[in-house]
Amino acid sequence: MSVVENISFDSAGRILPREQGAISLDLVIAIMTFLAALALGGVMIAERSAQSWQAGLTGRLTVQVLPQGATPPEAEVRAAVQVLQSVSGVVAVSALSDADNLALVEPWLGRDAVVADLPFPRLIDVTLAPGATPDLEALATRLKEVAPHAVLDDHGRWIERLRSTADVVVLGALVILALIAIGTAASVAFATRAGLAAHREIVQLLHLMGAQDRFIARAFERHYFMAALAASAVGSALAAATFVAASGLDQFGLPAVSFLPPLALSLGELCWLLLVPATAACIAWATARLSVISALHQYY
Amino acid sequence: MVRFENVAMRYGTGREVLRDVNFALEPGSFTFLTGPSGAGKTTLMKLVLMAEQPSRGVISIFGSDLAALKRSELPPLRRRIGVVFQEFRLLDHLSAFDNVALPLRLAGRRISDFRKDVEELLSWVGLGERLDDKPPTLSGGEQQRVAIARAVVAKPEILLADEPTGNVDPEIGERLIRLFVELNRFGTTVMIATHDRALIESTRARELRLVDGKVIEMRGLR
Repeated sequence: MSVVENISFDSAGRILPREQGAISLDLVIAIMTFLAALALGGVMIAERSAQSWQAGLTGRLTVQVLPQGATPPEAEVRAAVQVLQSVSGVVAVSALSDADNLALVEPWLGRDAVVADLPFPRLIDVTLAPGATPDLEALATRLKEVAPHAVLDDHGRWIERLRSTADVVVLGALVILALIAIGTAASVAFATRAGLAAHREIVQLLHLMGAQDRFIARAFERHYFMAALAASAVGSALAAATFVAASGLDQFGLPAVSFLPPLALSLGELCWLLLVPATAACIAWATARLSVISALHQYY
Repeated sequence: MVRFENVAMRYGTGREVLRDVNFALEPGSFTFLTGPSGAGKTTLMKLVLMAEQPSRGVISIFGSDLAALKRSELPPLRRRIGVVFQEFRLLDHLSAFDNVALPLRLAGRRISDFRKDVEELLSWVGLGERLDDKPPTLSGGEQQRVAIARAVVAKPEILLADEPTGNVDPEIGERLIRLFVELNRFGTTVMIATHDRALIESTRARELRLVDGKVIEMRGLR
């Protein structure tokens, strides 16, 4: 390869000199895409958790037999279990023991909580056959007859609240993503204008030498596309590293809170974060193009 | 090739820099544009280069009335014109080779097609060993030769030069005018804006003089 090929535009890839202040834009894009990737990861965690909770609760019923002072409700529990076992579509009925109850409250009250004196209800876990739709109203009435302190819960209200909470989280994250996209576009537009001003002489010269607007725009597009791609790759990689680190918090003496969804992303979910630099680069490309083309129209 | 009819030019709400300008550049002609500093030579050159729109009047270039052309139709016309700017206007971050190759790249040609031409042209202007040097490392005379090579590399039909000898010593100025005459012999229409009388007297070319914004024919067509 000759010296000339080494110094050609094709290998140098730039008709514009490296810009002063470009590092500031890189930093802004890296930070914005870091936040965008965190928001996207948050969307995936919220969505996954909502689905997981929903899947865990769908097809199940819980009967609570409320305590009556110091009297253990064992008789009512046995009667309720008998009624539940007779219902068509019920495949398993399991009355939870005191140990099971303690395990349930452990995440909130701690392993060594003193709970013996607390008035815990007795819980009966009921598993339904897939697709089974027992008449819950009739079942509740029958339960009341044999166990006056029994309360039937089909988790419908809980699932609905979970779903709407997850939807709010997802919507919030999407709004954040949209704001970050607008912020990125505005930053690139500002930087493009500044770049055009800084390279006014070059742009004017190219224009006078017969360069089409799209030739000049391509130089800027390429510059900002590559800058945004590199900076957003760094931002997204940092966000991915954050999620990976979050999955191993217990190794740093920070055990995960069991009733909160795990903050880690799976490998497949991490791959979705690649969308962030791709989108940021495309936004930068389109913004630079529009800014340059509109600015060039001031020239005859 | 170039025709101005009753052309006037003013910037913003200022006074008219040019008024009632009428002249034509015939194909293969060699013309000096003279006049005192501030007479409007550069403005007139800008109008020929389609860098500005006239305030009034008709400008035809390559047979096209510019007022009737769309903005997107102007770049191909500009590429048929080579320009040596007064301050050279080289791109400092590009090598001599890339500066000279710029018009060819703008025309959409590939480096493999024009590499040899550009190397030969730079050798011809005495810069064959400085292909990869950037303008800030070149002397004034060398920069000017790069600027001239860039102006002629695409074999333009019109060559414009604005005060090309303004920043060089008389010897280089003389060499430069010989180069322009040579190009003109091969059919390029040449127009040089200058107030260098020695340069003008060195040829028998036509002279258009700008006085009070008007063009006066001082010396007729060759």
